[in-house]
Amino acid sequence: MNVPLSLLRQFVDPLPEPAELADLLAGLGLAVEAVHDQPGIPAGVIAAEIVEAEPIEGSDHLTRTVVDDGKTRRTVVCGAPNARVGVRTALALPGTHLPAIGMTVESRSVMGVESDGMLCSAKELGVYDDARGIVEYGLDVVPGARLDEAWPADVILELELTPNRADAFSLLGVARDVAAKLGQPLHDPSEAAPRGDEQGDDGLTVSLADEEGCPRLVLQRIDDVHVAPSPLWLQRHLALLGLRPRNNVVDVTNYVTFALGQPSHAYDARVLHEGHLHVRRAHADEAVELLDGETYALHERDLVIATDDASGASKAIGLAGVMGGLHDSVRDDTTTVALEVAYFNPVTVRVTAKRHGLHTDAHVRFERGVDPELQPRAAAYAASLIADVAGGTVHPATTHAGSGLTRPSIRFRPSRVAFLMAFDVPLDAQQRYLEALGCTVQLNGDDDWTVTPPTWRFDLTIEEDLVEEVARLHGYEHIGSTRPDMTFTPPRSDPTHRALRDELAAAGLHETIHYVFTGDAELARARAPEARVRLANPQGIERACLRTALYPGLLNAAVTNRGAPALALFEVGRVFLEPERERLAILQSGAVERSGWRPDVPMDVWRLKGLLSELAERRNVAFAFEPATAEEAPMLHPGVAARVVWDGKPIGFAGRLHPEVAAAYELGEVYLAEIDLPLAARRLTVQDVARQPYAERDVAIVAPRDVTYETLAHLARGAAGDRLDTLFAFDVYQGPPLAEEERSVALRLRWRDAERALRDEEVDEDLANVIRAVETAGYRIRQ
Amino acid sequence: MIDEARAEIQAAEDARALQDVRVRWLGKKGRITLELKGLATLDPDARREAGREINVVKQQVEALVEARKEELARLELARALAAERVDVTLPAAQGSSGGVHLLTKVTNRLLDVFASLGYEVVTGPELETDHYNFEALNFPPEHPARDEQDTFWTEDGRLLRTHTSPMQVRYMETHEPPFKVVVPGKVFRNEAVDATHEAQFHQLEALVVGERITMADLRGAIQEMADALFGEGTRTRLQPSFFPFVEPGAEFAIWWTHPKTGREEWLELGGCGMVHPNVFKAAGYENVTGFAFGFGIERLAMVPYGVPDIRWFYQSDLRVLRQFRGAL
Repeated sequence: MNVPLSLLRQFVDPLPEPAELADLLAGLGLAVEAVHDQPGIPAGVIAAEIVEAEPIEGSDHLTRTVVDDGKTRRTVVCGAPNARVGVRTALALPGTHLPAIGMTVESRSVMGVESDGMLCSAKELGVYDDARGIVEYGLDVVPGARLDEAWPADVILELELTPNRADAFSLLGVARDVAAKLGQPLHDPSEAAPRGDEQGDDGLTVSLADEEGCPRLVLQRIDDVHVAPSPLWLQRHLALLGLRPRNNVVDVTNYVTFALGQPSHAYDARVLHEGHLHVRRAHADEAVELLDGETYALHERDLVIATDDASGASKAIGLAGVMGGLHDSVRDDTTTVALEVAYFNPVTVRVTAKRHGLHTDAHVRFERGVDPELQPRAAAYAASLIADVAGGTVHPATTHAGSGLTRPSIRFRPSRVAFLMAFDVPLDAQQRYLEALGCTVQLNGDDDWTVTPPTWRFDLTIEEDLVEEVARLHGYEHIGSTRPDMTFTPPRSDPTHRALRDELAAAGLHETIHYVFTGDAELARARAPEARVRLANPQGIERACLRTALYPGLLNAAVTNRGAPALALFEVGRVFLEPERERLAILQSGAVERSGWRPDVPMDVWRLKGLLSELAERRNVAFAFEPATAEEAPMLHPGVAARVVWDGKPIGFAGRLHPEVAAAYELGEVYLAEIDLPLAARRLTVQDVARQPYAERDVAIVAPRDVTYETLAHLARGAAGDRLDTLFAFDVYQGPPLAEEERSVALRLRWRDAERALRDEEVDEDLANVIRAVETAGYRIRQ
Repeated sequence: MIDEARAEIQAAEDARALQDVRVRWLGKKGRITLELKGLATLDPDARREAGREINVVKQQVEALVEARKEELARLELARALAAERVDVTLPAAQGSSGGVHLLTKVTNRLLDVFASLGYEVVTGPELETDHYNFEALNFPPEHPARDEQDTFWTEDGRLLRTHTSPMQVRYMETHEPPFKVVVPGKVFRNEAVDATHEAQFHQLEALVVGERITMADLRGAIQEMADALFGEGTRTRLQPSFFPFVEPGAEFAIWWTHPKTGREEWLELGGCGMVHPNVFKAAGYENVTGFAFGFGIERLAMVPYGVPDIRWFYQSDLRVLRQFRGAL
């Protein structure tokens, strides 16, 4: 919200310097986004009245005007559509510099007409953003008057208000906090406005059919108004608040919205059928045409302002608390105004505004909560302002339906301030702060107060709220700096998988982070599981669901880095498979070792296996690759696909990306793994080291190619006896003289006894057992 | 004789030739051996005299052979070393030198600070319910405070957490005070993405609950974090603000020197406050107080390290990732 200093000063005076005031407001919790200087009307601009206006021949938009500048008449060419006789406007005399448009006005000839000055729009003057036509002033502005004096520069504080501070959405509310902090009195101009007689008859009636949605409504009649441009001071007020002046009646209602935080709506009394206005929920199939020119189909929970039509049927004319109707507002020929000032239920207004996608100055105030006691006072104030600026007469009677709301009192222990804030605030200061904010404070006894918050403070409901009020007025700078007095020993754990990330980084992999959002097409392209969770309000179809695997993100990273000769990436993240789980994904491609001048060492599946195997070794768990089926790992090359078995349990897949998927991403040979986290680990128990030499024998087994190494190793291990220490493949061969289907796997076996050296005969016997087992299984030994 | 031997020894060009010389002079049939044998014919006095002389020669020859042997070995080594000489300026043979993500590094650094202060680290789900993300944190349905957090809703009515604060509730449901925890993790906001706004980013949340935790304890925790990140005595500031799950609430900032502009200014970091009684009520806690604070990680990674665009963090461009490798 814009807070112009000259307007704030009407509520609290004097004010500190702008920078100091900004700090003061921020210290009160009213965050200041920016402080900026708002220029006034430039020197050299005076008021003038158009006395003649004729279109210039040969131009489709230029008008030759003659203006009265208070001393003389001068001819000015003007391009604005509203350059018509009788308009009082701003004339920039020749030589005037207009900084907003970076131009100095000069006398010149336009289409053969001498133009002696320039009639200005608000934008050209640099006072507010409206370039649709020249400014129009009321009769208060006398031709010849220096407008730079009447419209001086100002300083504007832009506040970013938190949603709890409904009351601070007004100059009055901001001023109240400032006055309370400074210990100065608050001037509320609405207090002086004379209230209407609620018993009197003004020919208006109100019925509230929905007391939950609209507990209170005041209707005030003002007769004999003359709708015209607002006086200069009011136009300036609105401009400083960031609003466009429209006419004197609407301008008053807008000003009161910002001044007091009470939105209101001025009806042309003629639209109220027999002077009757009612508030009700919308009917099914009902629609209303609002001020923005759009027609809205209403929902049965929408609260509407209605009157009867000629046939006596109720007809919606506005969306309560959100926007008025197109046909009900004051017009140029309006003479009698019915001013509606209401309190609407915040949730009702919020839901309706959200439903229709509307965002208005009225709705943001109603949805946060307008002071439910404010309506009679605001109506009186707005009516008196309308009478002032539009020449009308405020009807002595006022129509008042419903009643205000009170706020429950809070039990308050002043000692809680020191308890929570750890600084002391004297009791009299606490009471002073609370009262300055509008609370009623009743002292019951020692550390026992009853505090009744003012009706405008919806946010004060519990004792802690009052502690904050005292603390923020006293100043958060009093908060000290201490360490919690507690005994707590955190358990040792690594929920962020920091050790794992560090290991992978040390192994040469780069960590990446990708979106959890993805699209169905992406998941299909990567052959990842179908989405389980979809977003109701995604940022586009490519981000419409949540990822079911991490590797598609890595594939896209590979696409991003397609030119790179080698890639080694990983991501630790969550996938959304119900339940959501944490995973590690690895992608490697290209060379694992490169110099440029020696042959590259290419990435392959065994290196991937080695990387995972090292992770397993460091966690003291068993680790294996088992051939994975195409169903398990459809994204992998069917011949280079493994199920990762960790500590005896399958935890994911690893292997080479399926060439079809690789082609879909325009990638080459890519290796992938994706496994569940956390990785199981076992506690290390230190074993004695072998002190005896081992005895070694080799045996080459010829078996069909589809018999895995692991099968043969298992067979040999089972037959080699208890003293077998290690076993590994040292050669794998296929080709002549072996048959087409055959493969030779040469195993090296090492036996060892913990206590003594083994004799050759013992080892030979164990080897014979291995050979026998191999032959029994139907394989042969290669000599 | 000795000169003759010396000439032969010096002429030996390798170990084998030297061995031949040695045998020729000192072997079983070598000249010196034969000379010694020849002494048997002399009378004892002459024999003693001649024997001494021959033995002197023998020792000299042996020494010369040893010396030549060492010299030859030295020459041999020098030859081998020369032959094995390489150009060490040729490019290295290397794999990629990897690294953890800058956001992970910044998070780790923060976790180190809080670990040293005795906090437990916990993490929680990213797909959350309205209950944990809003209701239990004192955001009533249809409260304008919800608008501050543009939420990604799922079709089945769940949501992507908009802050790490749901873990406050989850942790309290399963633990008893006193405790100190920090929660790092991803959060999501349905905002237009630009250089400073992402739909997905990271936060760190701290929650401390005990019998008598105060706002000064909160300030102290923030102060210790600021000291650890920016140096002892860094100024901190708390200003009143509003977050539904704390009361009193505040925003906190750290006074620092902007690395780009060199200007000293407040770095607005995040929100904080005393845990709202309604949050304790939702968790079933009584007679305790606590504080919570939270802030975005990206900001602490972008500004100090000059990352100009938040989207860089998720684009996985190696040219950027590589720059994250080193120490912070």
